[in-house]
Amino acid sequence: MSARLGDEISRVVVWAVMLLALLFLLVPLLVTTLMAFDARSYLGALPPPALSFRWFVNCFRQDALVTGLRISLALGVLAAAISSVAGAGAAIALDGAKFPGRGLLLALFVSPLVVPAVVTGFALLLALSQAGILNGFVRLLFGHVIITLPYTVRATLASLAGRDKRLVEAALVLGATEAQAFRSITLPLIRTGIVTGAIFAFAVSLDDVAVSTFLTDPTTYTLPVALVSAMRASFDLTIAAAAVLLMLVTALLIFVLDRAVGFDRLIGQGMFRT
Amino acid sequence: MLLALLPALLIMAAAFLLPMAGLAVESFRLFVPGRVGAAADAPFTLANYGDLLNRPFVGLFGETLRISILATLAGMLIAYPLAWHIVRRWSRRVRTLAIGLMVMLLLLSMLVRTYAIELTFGSVSIFRPTLKLLGISPNSGWYIECLVGAGLLHYIVPVATLTLLGTVQNVDPRLVEAAQSLGAPAWRAHLTVTLPLSRAGLVGAFLIGLTFSISAFVIPMVLGKGRVLFLSNSIFNRFSELADYPSGAAISIVMLVVSLLLVVAVSRLAAPRRRPA
Repeated sequence: MSARLGDEISRVVVWAVMLLALLFLLVPLLVTTLMAFDARSYLGALPPPALSFRWFVNCFRQDALVTGLRISLALGVLAAAISSVAGAGAAIALDGAKFPGRGLLLALFVSPLVVPAVVTGFALLLALSQAGILNGFVRLLFGHVIITLPYTVRATLASLAGRDKRLVEAALVLGATEAQAFRSITLPLIRTGIVTGAIFAFAVSLDDVAVSTFLTDPTTYTLPVALVSAMRASFDLTIAAAAVLLMLVTALLIFVLDRAVGFDRLIGQGMFRT
Repeated sequence: MLLALLPALLIMAAAFLLPMAGLAVESFRLFVPGRVGAAADAPFTLANYGDLLNRPFVGLFGETLRISILATLAGMLIAYPLAWHIVRRWSRRVRTLAIGLMVMLLLLSMLVRTYAIELTFGSVSIFRPTLKLLGISPNSGWYIECLVGAGLLHYIVPVATLTLLGTVQNVDPRLVEAAQSLGAPAWRAHLTVTLPLSRAGLVGAFLIGLTFSISAFVIPMVLGKGRVLFLSNSIFNRFSELADYPSGAAISIVMLVVSLLLVVAVSRLAAPRRRPA
């Protein structure tokens, strides 16, 4: 085989793979969006002959989804708040001090990311039942704080590492107390990191199924749990409308994150940059 | 300053360390069918782990592993060329677009992903007539397995692509050029130069995909329709259907050990790269 022909063939194969992959990644999202606006009352072929908002209206008429949404929002905000405060505190303490076991503590705070969510959920269920904590919301809060804590610790640590330490030294030299320097120099500098962590925590909380599914009670459940049971029961397009709304929430969070951090930071640790 | 550690430490102890210890203890308790969980003073036994050596569980473990490995391999085949094109071939504008798309797909809700794939390729999907034409039954076992794999793949591709960007950037493009100017065709230059130089990154991305796949929960639960079960789903079933907590705890411990081993492997591979050259 001539070199030229081999190159042509491999080029075509690689491009075909990438194109198919792109279709595979995007077509399901387009189909879902399109079907969410379908005016028909049954699941028919694409494209929908007429469009309507009926499924979106339906979303807010189904008690299970509305209850789930209300609890998910309350849980997400509360869990993000608790884990941001605790996580930022831990990160600041870990960054400021050099003591034995620091690395171990850091590993401990990140470990809920390593443990499969189902295992965390099941372990919490056992422990909370034995402790006699039966309130669904409190149980869910325990679960959501623990799965979001790694994100808030890491985001704060990252912003602490990126700050210019000489600024605090300058403030101390100029006569500020440690507390004053922290409040007026360090805190504003790491605010972005804390906010990023809180946004991630909210997003993680809003999407969790594996932990929540163990901790719900008959009247207290989250939106994802309600959606999963709806998905398993029937194939109603109301879920498509809910999925479109969730995609919008994700898009909004991405927009805020991009403003706060900038995604170009994701690329470019490589040596041979172009 | 150290006082600021206290809230997080208390949370970790109460909501993570103690429950994990309790889980380990529960996995050694004797279970009497008909109860909910083991009695508080039930005797200790190894039976819960012994049961896992039987066929049904070994089959479950094998199925989880097989689908996870195949989906991750497929993801690598897509992600590597994609990462290479993003870093080396495309203009700045296309690159930003491609990376933005991958970040979006990474952060996309797992539920939305799962539902979209079910709606597009599943048994009541809009492609049903096409599948019928091809003589494929959307309820056949292998098709459902493919569906679960597709769900995993939809997350693995963006994760692996973003992970591999740094890897590809670390391969000196002049090496490929040198190989080509010495007469090697481009495909051969990549196969013998780029690919071996990216080995550590490729293995790392593979293990990240595998760790995700093995602990996946929603994807196999919804797309598998009860016909394909992952380890995580079987833990939930022991809890919700059998109330056999000790057995669920034993499976959890096995999953935990497997995940920890994978993560140790990932960090071992990632460590040398972090040292400054």
